[in-house]
Amino acid sequence: MDNQSPPSQPIIIARNVDKRFGSFYALRGVSASFSEGQVTAIVGPSGSGKSTFLRTLNRLEAHDGGEIIIDGIVLSDDLQHLDAIRREVGMVFQSFNLFSHLTILRNVALAPIRVRKMSRADAEAKALALLDRVGLKNQAHKYPVQLSGGQQQRVAIARALAMDPKVLLFDEPTSALDPEMVNEVLTVMRELAHTGITMLVVTHEMGFAREVADRVIFFDEGVILEDTTPQAFFTNPDHERAQAFLSQVRHGF
Amino acid sequence: MMNWTKQYPGWTMFGAMLGLLFFLWGLAIPLSAAPAPIGPAAEQFAEGARVTVWLTLIAGSVGVVLGIVAGMGKLSKFLPLRWICDFYVWLIRGTPLLLQIMFVWLALPTIMPEGIELSDFACAAIALSLNIGAYNTECVRAGILAVPHGQVEAAKALGLTPFQTFMDVILPQSLRVALPALANNLASLVKDSSLAYAISVVELTMAGYRVQAESYQPIPVFLTIAAIYLILTTAFTTLTAALEARLDVGQKR
Repeated sequence: MDNQSPPSQPIIIARNVDKRFGSFYALRGVSASFSEGQVTAIVGPSGSGKSTFLRTLNRLEAHDGGEIIIDGIVLSDDLQHLDAIRREVGMVFQSFNLFSHLTILRNVALAPIRVRKMSRADAEAKALALLDRVGLKNQAHKYPVQLSGGQQQRVAIARALAMDPKVLLFDEPTSALDPEMVNEVLTVMRELAHTGITMLVVTHEMGFAREVADRVIFFDEGVILEDTTPQAFFTNPDHERAQAFLSQVRHGF
Repeated sequence: MMNWTKQYPGWTMFGAMLGLLFFLWGLAIPLSAAPAPIGPAAEQFAEGARVTVWLTLIAGSVGVVLGIVAGMGKLSKFLPLRWICDFYVWLIRGTPLLLQIMFVWLALPTIMPEGIELSDFACAAIALSLNIGAYNTECVRAGILAVPHGQVEAAKALGLTPFQTFMDVILPQSLRVALPALANNLASLVKDSSLAYAISVVELTMAGYRVQAESYQPIPVFLTIAAIYLILTTAFTTLTAALEARLDVGQKR
């Protein structure tokens, strides 16, 4: 919570971003900017466009209108720009998406070797250090399928961190986990939040959003309805939709 | 035996290869001890078996490469490439192998540049490669389609180039799926190579045919050939089973 000082240069700027799937508008003129080190929780009902918004930021979905600028680079079909952006933006997926044919160690070391052109020895040393940080050093030589969901998601976080990204996108990182494994992942994310990395977290974990985030964004029907502090959002949201959403999920925490 | 193959896939592959070579070079010795009509023709059988194995090894390897290239091509976003690959598979699967062998043998020399002469063996190898390549194409395509989309997204998000994504993630995972079907095609190839007799390549079946024509004793001759084919397919399937075990890591069972 040390981000009360006025935000520095925004690292992500989205202006009037549109995204259509056929005739369905997933995003309608979404504008938001995110400053370095900020931890933002993105919440909203399913189908509201929150995941789509996250996925446009590293162009897993191409936006149809508007403009996205990341670390000064305009996101477009230009492959060089795209490569540069994907090096700076890491992503953690709902279903982990670890490479199933590679060991945990290789999973984490692959991108530094291929993309950063690190030597294999250096990359694996770094991977081991990161695995240690998420508490999984002793699992390095296993395959993803041998790990629990919570462990796999911690590996996925280590894999994203191996590229030293400035921004980490989390797409519902705990939604596919058994309840008893949610906390081990949230613990890792909580620690990360204090390291100064920019985090955008699409989540249904309202406790996490309230406690860890600097900012909460509420999506509904492809637009941002609320963009405020966690305190303001959870105690007194402006919109009825947000109030209804909160009363729906409130049973959880 | 299957357990042993699974436990030591590397050694099994090595052993199967070595066994195949020993068998080929040593075949004439035990056969020459057999009574007539087999004994006197031992060298002919051995030579025929060598030709069959060479045809299988060459067409098998080229066929895998063709299968991977055309399998990718069939899934390409580039329409003309997809048409070419579709046409290739359609043409080869829709015509008899015997006809393809004859066609290559008769037509290819007329379009080859001056000074390059194709042996009968080369024509047979080309036709067999093209044939098994078309069948492999569909196996590889099935393998590529079986790779979960999340794996590709994870690779993209890490900044891997499309080529790296293919080589590091898609290809190894799709081959794991395609391998049993590819092994099946290889086992067929061992025996399909006998059609090379039509363009006077003296492979195993042709060798046997000649021996029985001289001796008027078809039954012992064809029994011998059948036994040799069985040993050859066993060697090849042991090899592919070991390869399968080697790639079969990180899988749910």
